[in-house]
Amino acid sequence: MSGSGFRKLSSAKLLVAAALIAIFSGAVVGLSVGYVVHYSAPATRIFYLFDGTVPFDESMFYGHPHDTFVPDTITVDKGDHVVIHYVNIEDIGEAHTYTMDPPYTFDATVYGNATQQGVVGTYPNVGNVVLSQGQNATITFTASWAGTFRYYCAYHQPTMTGYLVVIG
Amino acid sequence: MNDLKLLRWSAVALLLVTGMIDLYYGNSFAGFYENLWYVMGGIYIFAALVIASNIEPHFSQLTVFAYTLFLWSVWATVALETGTGLDAVAYADKAIEAILAVNMVLLFRNSRAGLIV
Repeated sequence: MSGSGFRKLSSAKLLVAAALIAIFSGAVVGLSVGYVVHYSAPATRIFYLFDGTVPFDESMFYGHPHDTFVPDTITVDKGDHVVIHYVNIEDIGEAHTYTMDPPYTFDATVYGNATQQGVVGTYPNVGNVVLSQGQNATITFTASWAGTFRYYCAYHQPTMTGYLVVIG
Repeated sequence: MNDLKLLRWSAVALLLVTGMIDLYYGNSFAGFYENLWYVMGGIYIFAALVIASNIEPHFSQLTVFAYTLFLWSVWATVALETGTGLDAVAYADKAIEAILAVNMVLLFRNSRAGLIV
């Protein structure tokens, strides 16, 4: 800064000029970020997940189980906090798991069924949780990695499989 | 002169607080926009050092004032467009930034008093 123009201008004029340039350029950058990135803020996404069945005779299709996940796709944005209420609604004494492969792990709280009330167990930072008939679990994690990731029941493959789609 | 010192050091304190909040925000939320807060916070902390050192004070004070308004404007437009950054931490950060902008105006005017010929 030489002693020329900058010194001659009054403080008020300099401040107003700086403010106008800053606010205008900030608005241009802000609008561009919003327009180009199509960004949405991380949020808590809550899902209800159940075991389901497809009506076919398991013995007739290469021994494949007729079990499925309902829903079989969960779509979130990267950074979202995901809460899944997973319920084993089997009418027979059959267990199911909620399992995810790395990099994803989750925290799970398993609640009892008609014969076993209350919290059955808490499992921090695991990749697999087992639910007996009638039990339910609250599964939580942050969708930190973008991409498509499998969630599945380890007992009923390959049919009981769903996909977590994380939009980055 | 004491007023000038007080304004300068309060500006340094506000810059450091805002910088730390920005770093915290960048660390707490995943996503492209939040990660930019790291950069904003880093620049604020650098600006605090420059203001504390009193290097080219008139130029640096005016630049920091403009930078504060620039970030305010970016935040406001992104928030209006996408709903991002509308949370308690961001509100606190922007409130401190507003105080910082007023502080920088007073500091700039005081430090230039008597300079104009």
